[in-house]
Amino acid sequence: MLVLGRLALLAGFCALWEALPRVGLADPELLPPFSTVLATLGELLARPALLADLGTTTLELLVAVALALPLGTLLGLALGENERLARIFDPLVFFLFSIPKSIFLPLFILTMGIGFWQKVAFGVFSTLFIVLMSAAAAVRSVRPDHVFTARAFGASRAQIAWRVYLPSMLPILLEGFRLAVIFGFTAVLLAEMYASRTGMGHQIASWGENFMLQRLFAGVLLLSVVAIAMNEAIRGIEARCSHWRS
Amino acid sequence: MSPGRIRALIILAVLVLWEALPRSGLVPVLFLPPLSLTLAVLAADWPTFAAALGVTLSEVAVALVFAVGGGLLTGALVGGLAGPRRLLLPVFSSLYAVPLVVLYPVMTAWFGIGAESKIAFASVYGFFPTMLATAAGIRTIDPQLLLTARSMGATPAQRLLLVILPAAIPTVLSGLRLGGALVIVGVVVAEMLIASAGIGYLVTFARTVLDSPRVFAGVLLVLLIAIGFDLAMRWVERRCALWSTAGRPQSAPAAAVPT
Repeated sequence: MLVLGRLALLAGFCALWEALPRVGLADPELLPPFSTVLATLGELLARPALLADLGTTTLELLVAVALALPLGTLLGLALGENERLARIFDPLVFFLFSIPKSIFLPLFILTMGIGFWQKVAFGVFSTLFIVLMSAAAAVRSVRPDHVFTARAFGASRAQIAWRVYLPSMLPILLEGFRLAVIFGFTAVLLAEMYASRTGMGHQIASWGENFMLQRLFAGVLLLSVVAIAMNEAIRGIEARCSHWRS
Repeated sequence: MSPGRIRALIILAVLVLWEALPRSGLVPVLFLPPLSLTLAVLAADWPTFAAALGVTLSEVAVALVFAVGGGLLTGALVGGLAGPRRLLLPVFSSLYAVPLVVLYPVMTAWFGIGAESKIAFASVYGFFPTMLATAAGIRTIDPQLLLTARSMGATPAQRLLLVILPAAIPTVLSGLRLGGALVIVGVVVAEMLIASAGIGYLVTFARTVLDSPRVFAGVLLVLLIAIGFDLAMRWVERRCALWSTAGRPQSAPAAAVPT
C-alpha cells in the first residue's frame, strides 16, 4: 500500500514535469519535458566522454572514502577507547565536525591546484570528521558489562573484538560510512563544479553556463539517481546487519 | 595538566604555527599567509569586506525565511500526521542523499546570476534538513501532556497555544539553528560558484588572482559568521530549555557547547 503510494508520487512528479512545459505553464527552454530529458540522458550515456567523466567522479569519491574511512575509524577508536585523549580532543573534534567544510575549498586549490588529488583531498577533509565521530560513538556504544561477561567466561581478546565489539559497533559504523559517501559525493561534485577540467561536476557547471538545459537536467537526473541508489544500497546492508545482530 | 589547559596549548600552537611556518619560509605564503597578514588585510580592506558581507547577509536573511519557514511547516505536517509520515518520511530521507549542489546551475539558468539564484539555492539547501529535523522533533512532544490537557477540559485552541506550541519550541529552535547554518553555507557556496557580489564572490575572485591573504581573510570571516550564528542560537536554545523544562531533571546535552 505504502509502496504503491510512493510509486504514485513518483509517477505524479514525472507526469507534472512532463505536463508543465507541454501545456505552456513552464517555458520548455527553461524546463524541458521529462521525456526530452530522458531521451537526452540516453544519448549522453552512449557517449564515451560522458562515461569517462562519470568514471572520474566515481574514482575520486571512492579514493576519498577509501582514505577517510580507515583514517577516521582509527582516530575515532583512539578517542572512544582512551578517556584522557577524549577529554582533550573531544571539543576540538566536535568543533571541526560542526564547521562548514565547503568554504575551505579555495584553500585546497591554492595548495593543490585543480587536479585529481585536490578533489580527493577535499573529499577526505569533508568526510573524515563524520567517520571519526561515528567511530567514537560506536566504541562508546559497546556495553562494558558485555565485555566483562565475555571476559569472565574466558573469551580471548580476538573473540571479544569479533563477538562483542564488532556486532555492537557495526550499525553505527555503517551509518557513518553512509553519511561519508553522501557528503563525499557532494564534496567531490562541488570541487569539480568550482574548478576542474574533468568530471560530472565540471560538465554540469559548463552545461549550465552554456544554457544547455536538456543536458543539464539529464545530468542532474543521473547524479540524483546514482546518489539515491548508493544511499539505498548502504541502507540495505545496514538493515541486513541489524537483522543478523538480533 | 588539565585537559582544558592542554587544549588551550594546542590551539595556541596552531595559531603560532600559522604565523611562524610562512614567516620562516617552510610553507609558501601562497599556501598559507601568516595570521597577522591575514588579519591586517581584513582590517585594511574592511570597507570592501563589509560591503560584500552586507550582500551575503541580506541573501541569507531572505533564504532563511523560505528554508526554515517551509521546513518547519512541512516538517510539522509530515511528522505530526501519521498518514503522510509513513508515506513521505522515507521518501524525503532518500531524497536527502541527492547532492543538491548540482541544482545550482539550474537556479542560475532560471533566475540569473544575481541575488535571486543564491536565495533560491540556499532555500532548497536549508529546507530538507530543517524539515527532517522538525518531523523528528515534533514527535518528541509528550502525548501525556496532551492527554492531561484534554482531560482537564482544554479546548483545541488552548491545547495548541498552551501545550503544543511551547512543547515545540525546542524543535523550532534547533530547526532554525540547523537551517540557518546550511543557508549560510548555501549562499556562500553559490556566490563562490557564479556571482558578481558577496563574500563568496570576493573569495573566488581573490583565489583566481592568487591573492591568498584575501582568500584566507574571506574564509575566516565566513567561518566567524557561521560560528557566531551557531553560538547565538545555542544560547537562545539554552535559555528556552531552562524555561521549558523547569521542574524536569536537567538534561546534560543541552550544556554541550563547542569551545
